[in-house]
Amino acid sequence: MTTIHRLLDEAFAGIEPTPDAQDLKEEMRANLEARVAELEADGVSPDAAARRAIGELGDIRELLGELPDAPRRSPWDPPAGVRIRPKPAFVVRVTVAATVAAAALATFALGALGVIPLPLGATIGLLALGASAIGWTVGDALHQETTTNHPMPQARAGGFYAATSLVIFALGFGALIALGPAPLWTVVFPSIALVLGIALFAFLGATQTNRHKSWALRHSEQYTQQEDRFSQDPAAAARFGIYTLVIIVVAVVAFIVLGFTTGWAWAWLALVAGFLVMMIVLARMLFPPTH
Amino acid sequence: MVQDSDAFAADLLRGHTDTIVLGVLRRGESYGFEIYKTIRDATGGAHEIKEATLYATYRRLEKDGLVESFWGDETQGGRRKYYRITDAGRAVYARNVAAWAATRDIIDSLLIERH
Repeated sequence: MTTIHRLLDEAFAGIEPTPDAQDLKEEMRANLEARVAELEADGVSPDAAARRAIGELGDIRELLGELPDAPRRSPWDPPAGVRIRPKPAFVVRVTVAATVAAAALATFALGALGVIPLPLGATIGLLALGASAIGWTVGDALHQETTTNHPMPQARAGGFYAATSLVIFALGFGALIALGPAPLWTVVFPSIALVLGIALFAFLGATQTNRHKSWALRHSEQYTQQEDRFSQDPAAAARFGIYTLVIIVVAVVAFIVLGFTTGWAWAWLALVAGFLVMMIVLARMLFPPTH
Repeated sequence: MVQDSDAFAADLLRGHTDTIVLGVLRRGESYGFEIYKTIRDATGGAHEIKEATLYATYRRLEKDGLVESFWGDETQGGRRKYYRITDAGRAVYARNVAAWAATRDIIDSLLIERH
């Protein structure tokens, strides 16, 4: 087995170790191992097997060369001329979810405003149902393959479902407290939901990898210049995510503390202040001062 | 003559490498050597599509978004790069198979004598 590693190194000698070339080399390594094992099982000596397996690879430089682009009608046409249409099942699911969301949230609003008498538990239940349905449309949409994007893995799409549902639930619950039906101390629940939701969004955003199909990525590089700082410097974007999380947590904690100490009439100013600080940080980080 | 007909068949096969690979991946995700072996076994070992050709095909298919790749988590030996067909790949596959069926009928009617 040692020989194929040496022969592979020789085959790649003099080739610039770009990520692309390294990728191809590692892919070939596992395949070569399998091919050598097969040849050895047929009774070929290990040395000869390794040599033959490498010999079958052909010219690596040729493989790494630029792939010719087929002529296209417009830069955004997919290479094979394939547009992915939404799956019928997906359309049905999203329509159902949207209907459920609209019905649940409308009834919730009427209940919260006291237009129709609903027990508090039922009102909160409707809110949870509506929030969950909206989260579902978001998660399900991200899980679909589109013409330019690969589908998001199920677990990650589930994360977006949870984060969206939590934030909407928190907002709705906040309205319920503001309008009166829910007692003030219950502000703990939406606060926890909001922090969890935002933390989840921050985590998902910071760990997000590219989902564009590579032809789409190539075209977007070709046709747009990446000028804003977050595209040029992903570390800055990650830093901004962490700052945002800290600002929001501090604002929510200040909101709760102020609410219980000085009263709820002015406590919301803490959230406004948090938002303002976040926007200033965003502006400073996106467009750093040039000296 | 045997060698000539061999070369002719190999040429025909090579011309459809993309569709053949998509066809293999349609049955489930797979990695380089396994795809290579599936094709070789399907031809009864008589013909094979060269591995170099296959690597070029994977790269082209991935670039066009017809397949996506991911690394396996093998603990022993090298990690395998797996390929999975996308919906775009399935659509292209279906289109190519339909085109092949139509072309095959035309060539059959032109080349094969009927009595």
